[in-house]
Amino acid sequence: MEFDFSPVITYFPTLIKGIGATLLIGLVVAIMSIIGGQIVAVITLYTKKTVNWPLRFFIWLFMTTPLLLQLYFLYFGMGQWILIPAIVVGVLGLGFHYMAYNADIFIATIKSVSSGQYEASRSLGFGHLATLFYIIIPQAFYRAIPQLGNNMIIMVKDISVLSAIGIAELVYLSQYAISVTFRPFEFYITIAVIYYLINVLMETGQAWVERRAAIRR
Amino acid sequence: MDINLMIDITPLLVKAAWVTIDISARALFFGFFIASALVAMRTSRIPPVRWLARAYISVVRGTPYFVQLLLVFYGGPAIGLRLDPFTCGVVVGAFNIGAYMSEAIRGAIESVDSGQHEASRSLGFGRFATLQHIVLPQAAGLMIRSIGVLAIILVKNSSLVSIISVVELTYQAQRLIGSTYKPLEVFSVSALMYIVIIYAVMGIVEFLYRRATRYTYL
Repeated sequence: MEFDFSPVITYFPTLIKGIGATLLIGLVVAIMSIIGGQIVAVITLYTKKTVNWPLRFFIWLFMTTPLLLQLYFLYFGMGQWILIPAIVVGVLGLGFHYMAYNADIFIATIKSVSSGQYEASRSLGFGHLATLFYIIIPQAFYRAIPQLGNNMIIMVKDISVLSAIGIAELVYLSQYAISVTFRPFEFYITIAVIYYLINVLMETGQAWVERRAAIRR
Repeated sequence: MDINLMIDITPLLVKAAWVTIDISARALFFGFFIASALVAMRTSRIPPVRWLARAYISVVRGTPYFVQLLLVFYGGPAIGLRLDPFTCGVVVGAFNIGAYMSEAIRGAIESVDSGQHEASRSLGFGRFATLQHIVLPQAAGLMIRSIGVLAIILVKNSSLVSIISVVELTYQAQRLIGSTYKPLEVFSVSALMYIVIIYAVMGIVEFLYRRATRYTYL
């Protein structure tokens, strides 16, 4: 068993492309899941239970079934009714999955904002919606940041699962390179290292954001 | 919704669900020992042993489970490690969850007030006796809860083993979607099975938690 990392170097431009795709997907999913999660959380908390039960059902469903099963359902299943490209399915699937997790966090943090804040704001003349947007949600958002960061770090790792439905991200492109060079060990080690570096960067970023948020909380 | 089809595919999916349970339970079992070893290493008096455990935990938590699985299954033969898919799933699952679980166990142990440890030592208990009779009983409740969360993650992660062709729930569901062209029905039944498994885990965890905290008053 001798290791030969020269194919990895030859295919490094491909891997770079994969890193770019992974980061881009990560960014889109992060924005989508945070904004979507916030909206879902506000709707579930401030509408009647008889109205928002489908929303609560989907949060529950996304949280109790594995991501891969959801992706298979969306990709192979939805293809029967409408034809959507794999990349859209992947981003939407991952986005909805983490939207549910983020909504769960936002629900908890919105509830944790003291009800005195709401009452004080209303008695100062803010309307219901203005109170939500200017008083409650900002406070809840700052409280949610540590857990949001954790979720996003887990999410970036889960992007690798998208290769199962044929999205050309890091793992998928390396599988292509492996099928040409027959060097799985070297490539997967490289990918593990790349993911580890991304993870370290994200953890550093998370610590920085948390420090900044702590000032403004 | 085709109810007859749903009834027809249920036996197949139940069989596959057992594989999911089997693989997760084994990974949890072995993962617990790996986690205990890691906790012991992290509290070791020899610095390199501590660094090794910390590096291991950091690397495992910093890379995707999916990549770890692919690395061991497809890359393993290059370093003389040939595992059949099921064993590979159990081994990678155990080593993966072990790293997370060691953090959970350490967190639970550290949550016990250090005065308890000091009082016990000054009353003449040894290090191990202190851990066994004083610290662990108090840490057990928190430990069981956090291990329960990890067990649920483990069940959901076991779906990734379908990539290395273990016939478990997700693999079977994908195959059935391909052969019946009825995605909604297959998804409903297989999702229901995951939900049943997860709620069963939650029930067991709650039972153990109540047993473990019988005598603790908080």
